[in-house]
This record gives sequence, C-alpha cells and structure tokens, in this order.
Amino acid sequence: MPYRLTRAEEEQESSDRYPMGRRQSSEEYVKSQLERNVFTGKLSDVLNSAVNWGRKNSLWPYNFGLSCCYVEMTTAFTSPHDIARFGSEVIRASPRQADFMVIAGTCFIKMAPVIQQLYDQMLEPKWVISMGSCANSGGMYDIYSVVQGVDKFLPVDVYVAGCPPRPEAFLQALQLLQDSIQEERRPLSWVVGDQGVYKAEMGSQREQKRSQRIEATELRTPDKL
Amino acid sequence: MSTDALDRHAPAQSGIDRALGLLDGFREHIEHVQPTLTGLPVLWVRRERIVEILRHLKAPPASFSMLYDLSAVDERLRAHRDGLPAADFTVFYHLLSVDRNEDLIIKVALTGGDPNLPSVTRVFANANWYEREIWDLFGITATGHPHLQRLLMPPTWHGHPLRKDYPARATEFDPYTLTVEGQQTEQEALKFEPEAWGMQRERDGSEFMFLNLGPNHPSAHGAFRIVLQLDGEEIIDCVPDIGYHHRGAEKMAERQTWHSFIPYTDRIDYTGGVMNNLPYVLAVEKLAGIEVPDRVKTVRVMMAEMFRISSHLLFLGTYLQDLGAMSPVFYSFTDRQRAYKVIEGITGFRMHPAWYRIGGLAQDLPVGWQQLVQEFLDWMPPRLREYELAMMRNALVRERTRHVAAFTTTEALEWGVTGPNLRATGCNFDLRKQRPYSGYENFDFEVPLGQHGDVFDRGQLRIEEMRQSLRIIQQCVDHMPAGDYKADHPLTTPPPRERMLQHIETLITHFLQVSWGPVLKPGESLQMVEATKGINSYYLTSDGNNMSYRTRIRTPSFPHLQQIPSLMRGGFVPDMIAHLGSIDFVMADVDR
Ligand code: SF4
Repeated sequence: MPYRLTRAEEEQESSDRYPMGRRQSSEEYVKSQLERNVFTGKLSDVLNSAVNWGRKNSLWPYNFGLSCCYVEMTTAFTSPHDIARFGSEVIRASPRQADFMVIAGTCFIKMAPVIQQLYDQMLEPKWVISMGSCANSGGMYDIYSVVQGVDKFLPVDVYVAGCPPRPEAFLQALQLLQDSIQEERRPLSWVVGDQGVYKAEMGSQREQKRSQRIEATELRTPDKL
Repeated sequence: MSTDALDRHAPAQSGIDRALGLLDGFREHIEHVQPTLTGLPVLWVRRERIVEILRHLKAPPASFSMLYDLSAVDERLRAHRDGLPAADFTVFYHLLSVDRNEDLIIKVALTGGDPNLPSVTRVFANANWYEREIWDLFGITATGHPHLQRLLMPPTWHGHPLRKDYPARATEFDPYTLTVEGQQTEQEALKFEPEAWGMQRERDGSEFMFLNLGPNHPSAHGAFRIVLQLDGEEIIDCVPDIGYHHRGAEKMAERQTWHSFIPYTDRIDYTGGVMNNLPYVLAVEKLAGIEVPDRVKTVRVMMAEMFRISSHLLFLGTYLQDLGAMSPVFYSFTDRQRAYKVIEGITGFRMHPAWYRIGGLAQDLPVGWQQLVQEFLDWMPPRLREYELAMMRNALVRERTRHVAAFTTTEALEWGVTGPNLRATGCNFDLRKQRPYSGYENFDFEVPLGQHGDVFDRGQLRIEEMRQSLRIIQQCVDHMPAGDYKADHPLTTPPPRERMLQHIETLITHFLQVSWGPVLKPGESLQMVEATKGINSYYLTSDGNNMSYRTRIRTPSFPHLQQIPSLMRGGFVPDMIAHLGSIDFVMADVDR
C-alpha cells in the first residue's frame, strides 16, 4: 500500500504557507519495516495496530459548524442516525480535547484565519473531514468572499460529496477515516522510530465503486414514492 | 406598455395618493413617483431633506414605525431607467406601518464619485447596520453615522463588492493562500478594541472583562461573534460582529439566470428550504406577469408549511439545549426525520430541494403523497403535547425563561423585528393574514400571539405555530385542487415538455428558454412572505435581461441580531445565551 509521509519537525526550507509540514510519497512503509527486522517489525506492527484500533474507535469530534452542512452533521449526531455506534458521540466544544474537525459548510475568507487557529489548537493526532461541496471546492459559491476549498490551507483526510451530504454520507466518511487511521503509522513514542506520520493512500471511492455503479441501468421515476 | 401591465400597476395608486398626502409639506422635495410592480408607492426624494422626511414619516399621522429595509443599487450600468432621476447610485428606504398595514418606499438618487448621504440612525436605530452594509458593499458614505466600519467583509478588505465594476467570482482573483504572517495579520485585525467603540476599560478603579464569544461557539448557532463587556456576570455592553457567513448571494443573483438562481435562495435561510423559493418565484412571477394555477399555490403552501415545522423543530431542540436541557434535541430531530421523509418523498431532496419553479413546480405530487403527509400529520400532535408537558410546563424551564430578555412591541418595531419574535410581544402581524399571498386567504388558521415578549413566549409561540401549520397542511391534504403543476404562460420555466416536440420551431424555443432562461421585461417587483424566522423578501430589479440587475434579499435575522445589545445591556451572560437560543437565527439568514 502506498503511503504519504508528513514530517513532524518542519524543515527549514519549507515555506510559511499553510498547510504546514512537507508531504511526500513514501515507499511501502510497513514492508520496509518488516524487511529491516522480522521480529521487531512484527512487534511494532502489532503495537501500531492496537494503538490505531483504540484511536479509530474513540474519535471525538470538534463541535464546529460553518453553515448548512452543519445541520446534516448534527442530524448524524442525534438519535435516528446515532453516531455513538461508531464511538464518536463525545462532542467537544474545545479544540484541545477533540480528535477531528469537520469542516461542515462554506469556508469564508473572513473565517479562514479563525479556522486555521482552531486547527492549530487541536493536539496531534488530529484529522480533518471536509463535508459538502463548499468545503471541498467552494461548491456553487464561486464568489468573492468564499475560499475555493478548505484544502487551500488545511490538510484534508476525507472529502464528502453533496450539498449537503446526507447524514449517512457523513457516517460513511467517518468510517473511511477510521479505515485510514487503522493503516496509519505514527511514532509510538518520541524516542522510537523516525518522527514522521505515514498516512496510507486509500484511493478514491469513486474509482472503487465505478463498476458497481454503472451497472444500474434503470432509475426510479419521480412520479411514485 | 400594455393595458395588462398598467392594470398591475393600479393597486398602488391609492397608496401613492395617500403617501403624497402625508408628505404634503415636502412636495418640492419629491422628484419622481415611480411606477413599479411592487404594489407599493415608490417616491424619489432629494437627498438634502431625507432625514426630516423620514422623521416626519415615522411620527403620527404617518406612523411608519418600522424601517423594514434599507439598501442600495449601483445604477451605472442600468439601461432602462425610463424617466427615473439621474443617479449613479440609489439608496432606498422601505418603511412599514404595522398599524395601518401599509408600506412606502423612499428612494434617493446619488451622483458623483463619492456617493454620500446623511445618516438616518438618529431616526431609526436599526439603520445603523444597514448603513454600514451599504458602505461596506457599495462604498456609500452615511455622514454622521456613529461607527461607519465594514460590516460583512473582513476589516482588511479592499473594494466594495456590490459595485458593478467589482468582479464577482473568486476564480477571477488570485487563488486563495494563507500564510503564517497573513493569518496573524487577519487575527490581529479582528482583535476587539474597546476604545474604538467608545467603551471604557475600567470603572471606579476596577477593570472590565472583555469576553470574546465566537465566531465559533456552541451556542452561537454558526459563525457569529459577539464581544461582551462584563462587570462580573453582568453585561455592561456588547458588540455583535457578523460577516463570517457572507456568501455574496446578492452578487450571485446578478450573474445567474432568473431560473438558475432558485437553488441559491434555498441556502439563504438554510433551515427553511422551499420557504425561501417562495418570495423569489412570486417576485419573478410578478415581473413576468404569470398567474399560477390553484394546485401550484396549494402545493407551495403545503411544502412551505412543512419546512416551517421542520425549522421550528430545529429551533425547539436547540433552544432547549441552550437552556441546558440535553434530551429534547434528540426528540425534535427524530420528528425532523419524519418531516424529511415527507419532504424527500415529494421533492426528492432533504434540505435544499429548490423545488419551486417560475410559473409552477419542478414536478407534480407523486402517487400516494396523501398517505405520506397524513402519517406525519397524525404523528406530530402528541409529540407537540409532549414537548409542552415535559419542557414548557417544566418549572426549571419556566424559571429560566420567564421575563428574560423581554422586549415590548414598540422596541421590536424600532429594531425591525418581525415574525414570531414580534408576535411574542403581542403584536398581531402575520403576512399570511395581513397580506395573503399564494392562496393563504383560503385557509382557516389562527395567528398565535404571546404576551410578554420574553424567552418563554418565543418558545411557546413556535409550538403553537407548528399546530397551526399542521392545520394548514391538513386542509391542503383534504382539499388539494386538481389541475396542472405549471402555469400556461410563455415564460414558465422550464416550459411544459409536451409543447416541445411539435416541430422545429417549438424545439428551438424550448431549447433557448431552457439554456438561456426567460428574459423578463424591465421593471421592479417585490414579494414579502412570512418565512420561518420573520419577514423575508426579495426586491428584484430587471433590466430586460435573462439575469436580474439587482436582487435585494431582506432577511429577518439581520435586524434580530442587531437588536441584541440594546436588549442585553444590564443582563447576565447566561440570559444572553438563552436569548440567542430564542431568537431562532441562522447566520446565512443574516449575512446572506
Ligand atoms: S455544500 Fe451546500 S449544503 Fe453544504 S454548506 Fe455548501 S451550500 Fe450549504
């Protein structure tokens, strides 16, 4: 599986532009570990898996909403959709206590520096879900006051399509994030291993599901329920 | 002008005579009486005496007690001005008299490179933000304004976006980047300076605390910021800061066709769904001269009321949560899910269906809709009773909300408060009764009123309103008229499909109308509706194009937020949180 490496300490030549930190493609990280030493490689693999399993099943969301998409996000928090099934019901009002931030809504130029500050206040490990077309790309708002996609300054882990995405789509994004966290490799301590963060490149859902989707030939007509 | 168009101007004539009578002493300052499709008298007056004129109109006998709206138009590129006074910019004041149920629009022409006019904040308190807005977006100076700063755009912004020479698209500018330095500068610019607002830092040797609440705070319902000057728990003063949600919807309307702007209206009051389409399509239909069939009217009412319920349910859950009750939000969202089942079944979408069309609807009601709606109608009443029993009769809730953040009708009108928040003060003003549109006159329902105008009344009133909405929807189910879901009119968009496949001529016409959209005659129209949060209206100016020349969107939440400081001075922080919960606002409805 291909990985993407983000170094913890910033290299001097890296620019002062957000998102911070250098990203580069990395060879098959897990395999190289294995090859280096079969026994410790295996051990750290088990350890990593255990830690990741813990992380991914207790993701605490940051209570942060920008616009319409936030309504569907809160819908996912409440009983009919019940986000507690995925261990993410502990909604935090402080970025210091949260694990991931959902950019649910339009990212405004006036708001962007504030979002950046809130993101900086979150502690590692942290992740970002971009929910809805506005956050993904500006969506239908190609207008002077809107940033054309939150990834212009934040590193995004999962993108959710829709305007707004259904709560179910948000829950699916959460599961995709969990899957990717399971594959992640982070330093187990500040003295073990190199201090980079290796994120698995999970591939796009659109490509994975295309063959299945194009099989649909008959669509329901809207005149019946 | 055809006789038909003249007829449509007619209803305003008696209003014009009355307005001219009221302004008898200012005859020589009235430049022009403009015929429009707004149904309201529109008078152009000279800039010099605008303050006196408005003061005169506010006092009895005219008693236009509310400044309903104030905005501007950049006239420089307008081709069809037909006898209007020469102007580079126009500022308009929309006055409303609740007692007489009458309106008056006053326009002022401005010319020259540095447009300015006297501030009217001394006459109407709520002119404050509106004048800051026209400074921010048009660069029109209101001289004598107490604090003429940017309102919607960041303090570091250059230019005035609603001017015609300002580019609309983000992609016309350099791509957005954020640097460490830039971030610091922006954050520094947002820093609150008490002195700039004429505030003291200390009193009698003890310092005040300045608390910055937002722009991200769980009880601020979105990107809203308010800075509090505190003496212990007591709020000495506060300054709301908005614009963190400005999506440039009004500018957007100047580049989308009449038809393709409909989805943008859904996102103005984003909990209101198709309720937002209604004022827009009604205003466009006035411009186009379309009369829709009864079925269309009734379906529109039914879906708009569905969204009123769904929006009020969201209100109820979050309002009680802001008071500290954790569980109601789970109940109310369960009910919203039921509402969405109906909405999705009929329109195919949950939050933003964009389902109304110019001259009709996107499609007819699906087979079996009655049962779907009826299930919801049967489900809701016991739930509403439960909310009342569990929450509104709850001693804790009552103690917490009774006589908190209360205001009177007079104060409400002074600040431009409309909708449930106005009716909670006991003022019986509901446009569905006062100025029925889309067939509301055929329905049997009551307008619930409050007494004290406090946080409690604002909550209770909305529960009552949901009951009335259910009543209206029941009548829609029982008496849905048969008929077409589109008007038989050449400007109906999209045109009926059956007309397309006759011969090549019909095919071309259809193609043009779908790809370019309809072209509307020059004119101005306005439609006000009783939306979920108050009175929402669209003021459309057509310059004979397939796009609007100017679209002014008046939203109810904007004045509701502006009222906060006058109300909360001397109150406590938790009371302000309760008040924020009870206003029922979404930031898109403030900043647009
Ligand atoms: S993607 Fe659509 S629903 Fe989400 S914030 Fe943007 S406009 Fe609203």
